[in-house]
Amino acid sequence: MKAHLAHNLRDGRFQALAGAAFLAALTFVLPALPLTRTGVSVLAVVDITGSMNVRDYTGADGKPVSRLDTARAALRDLVAALPCGSRFALGLFTERRPFLLFTPIEVCADFAPIDGALAALDWRMAWEGDSRISAGLFRSIEMARSLDTDLLFLTDGQEAPPLPSTGGPAFEGKPGAVRGLIVGVGAYALSPIPRYNDRGREIGFYGAGDVQQENRFGPPPADAESREGYNPRNAPFGGAAATGSEHLSSVREPYLKKLAAETGLAYAHLDGPAGLGAPLRAAATPRPLAGRLDLRPFLGGAALALVLCVFLLPTWRALRFPRRPTLKKA
Amino acid sequence: MMPSDPLTEALARFAVDTPLVLWLLPLALLPFRRSAQRVVAVASLDAGPADPLSRTIGWTLRGAGCLAIVGLVVGVAGPYRRGETVTRTGIGAQVSILVDRSGSMNETFAGRQPSGAEESKAAASRRLLGDFVGSRAHDQFAVTAFSTAPMLVVPMTDRHAAVRAAIQAIDRPGLDYTNVARGLALGLAQFGPQAANVSRALLMVSDGAAVIDPRVQGTLRAEFARVRPNLYWLFLRTKGSPSISDKPAGEDTPQAAPERHLDLFFKSLGVPYRAFEAEGPEAVAAAIRQIEALERDPIPYTEQRPRRDLSWIAFGMALFGLLVLVAGKLAEADFRRGRGAAARPAATAPERIAA
Repeated sequence: MKAHLAHNLRDGRFQALAGAAFLAALTFVLPALPLTRTGVSVLAVVDITGSMNVRDYTGADGKPVSRLDTARAALRDLVAALPCGSRFALGLFTERRPFLLFTPIEVCADFAPIDGALAALDWRMAWEGDSRISAGLFRSIEMARSLDTDLLFLTDGQEAPPLPSTGGPAFEGKPGAVRGLIVGVGAYALSPIPRYNDRGREIGFYGAGDVQQENRFGPPPADAESREGYNPRNAPFGGAAATGSEHLSSVREPYLKKLAAETGLAYAHLDGPAGLGAPLRAAATPRPLAGRLDLRPFLGGAALALVLCVFLLPTWRALRFPRRPTLKKA
Repeated sequence: MMPSDPLTEALARFAVDTPLVLWLLPLALLPFRRSAQRVVAVASLDAGPADPLSRTIGWTLRGAGCLAIVGLVVGVAGPYRRGETVTRTGIGAQVSILVDRSGSMNETFAGRQPSGAEESKAAASRRLLGDFVGSRAHDQFAVTAFSTAPMLVVPMTDRHAAVRAAIQAIDRPGLDYTNVARGLALGLAQFGPQAANVSRALLMVSDGAAVIDPRVQGTLRAEFARVRPNLYWLFLRTKGSPSISDKPAGEDTPQAAPERHLDLFFKSLGVPYRAFEAEGPEAVAAAIRQIEALERDPIPYTEQRPRRDLSWIAFGMALFGLLVLVAGKLAEADFRRGRGAAARPAATAPERIAA
């Protein structure tokens, strides 16, 4: 009797099965391991000025989609993909400053209101037609600092009115103090900008004469003297009306990259209604989030491996060393 | 099967974290072909009499092996029952908050820039509205901001944290003008097409008024008649500025006294309407308490039940199967060792069946 028991206890298959049973029992007592995951806390500021209505993206059905719609879709995709515990705040930008809609909210529990707010983003929320990107960006950085978040600034980079020849305002903050990403929205080719009437209906596109082609505030540019009809007092910018392509729009990537370098932010181009996650994670401050690692799948997997060994090992052995025929049941 | 089938619905509530693992399930048939018991050479099974007990033990061991593998595979896949949304009835209201974010909201009730312990109108309404949101569990809120253009901040939701985050933002620097009409229209649009018996309240917080274009008035009237909300106007009056009820000395036109005429417009809408004139934070708090007391009606609300982990059941099954297998291994006897075999007939059974 004792000899049987001792013999059985020495059997490898018994030991494997007992080990599997022990592991299965452990799943009931072992708590989940505390774990630190990386999340983000980000303020998204969306440019809702007129040039964001340009339809230069192609939708899934082949129809043109506006920049604002694409940016909105990309943000909804981003929020849905952020790890739980990440926080998301939303602001709008037109004129020269951001307007905060809400302070950071947790992205999983409060996903529905965030998604609803993103869906409701509309150019009609804009309170003024100007689009002074650099001023808006600098204030957005300040806003992100006050909220203790990173910044995600989505814009096509088209300044309206155009910057004066002396360039835009200089960044006065500390570059890199706020981390984040400038997202260039729009295609690289010029496209016409839709125009709306005061009731919000589309009535065509902007023509060359409808927008300021050159900023004529401040001192004239250095090359003004060589211009046709130049007169230091009466025509400091030359005699001819300014011409240009300010009524058409494309993503102003070099300008945005310059702004990004000045402010210590990263730059990424928005290629479609998704794909913001990877560049944001690369640029954002990693925020530790309390996570839990459930050990049970690992314990269960080990137990499963042991059980399978028990059932498969004899077959394997039989294949390796064919000794004697196994007797089949009658 | 139709999706309305109750069985399908019940099954649809179950899911696993990593469905790919379930492809291992066919391995559960392994115990029916292979045994964990020792192989013993017997000349012929017919040598022994038919033994129902041995047969039962044999099948029990195969079943236990199958159960152990199924339990472990399913347990590793991480089964759970989906969270569900349950609709219940509580006490509360749908409140659409319409907040003035014009620049003057950042001044104090005395019309100055806030200094020291003074609080701006926006900061006071932020603090007091923040307390209002979440004081009752089943209220639903939407937040709309308006200045030059109306802005939908948060659509109607019962996620109070999100609503409070939206209210946290209202004492940030505001914009230029007060365009009431468009704000009212957007605030009204937040009441979804829900059952008519839900108590709906439109709470407008502003420190001034503006002329509502007569052309828009008709549209607004029609909207109010359709939605029929209770309308509350929390008028944060700056000291010394005209009251809602003050008649101007000169001409009594909407341009001369926009507050008075907005009040008259609201009164003419035919919906329950109350105006609260607050000249300080205490008055705002009192007004909000009154609104809270007035808006007490049954409201259907949804409750999110969290998902329930079911792994423990799978691992429990696996553990049971494994314990049976372990017992089977412990009870093994060996014919080749000869001794004690005759004394324990039950223990000999497994080898015979499994052989």
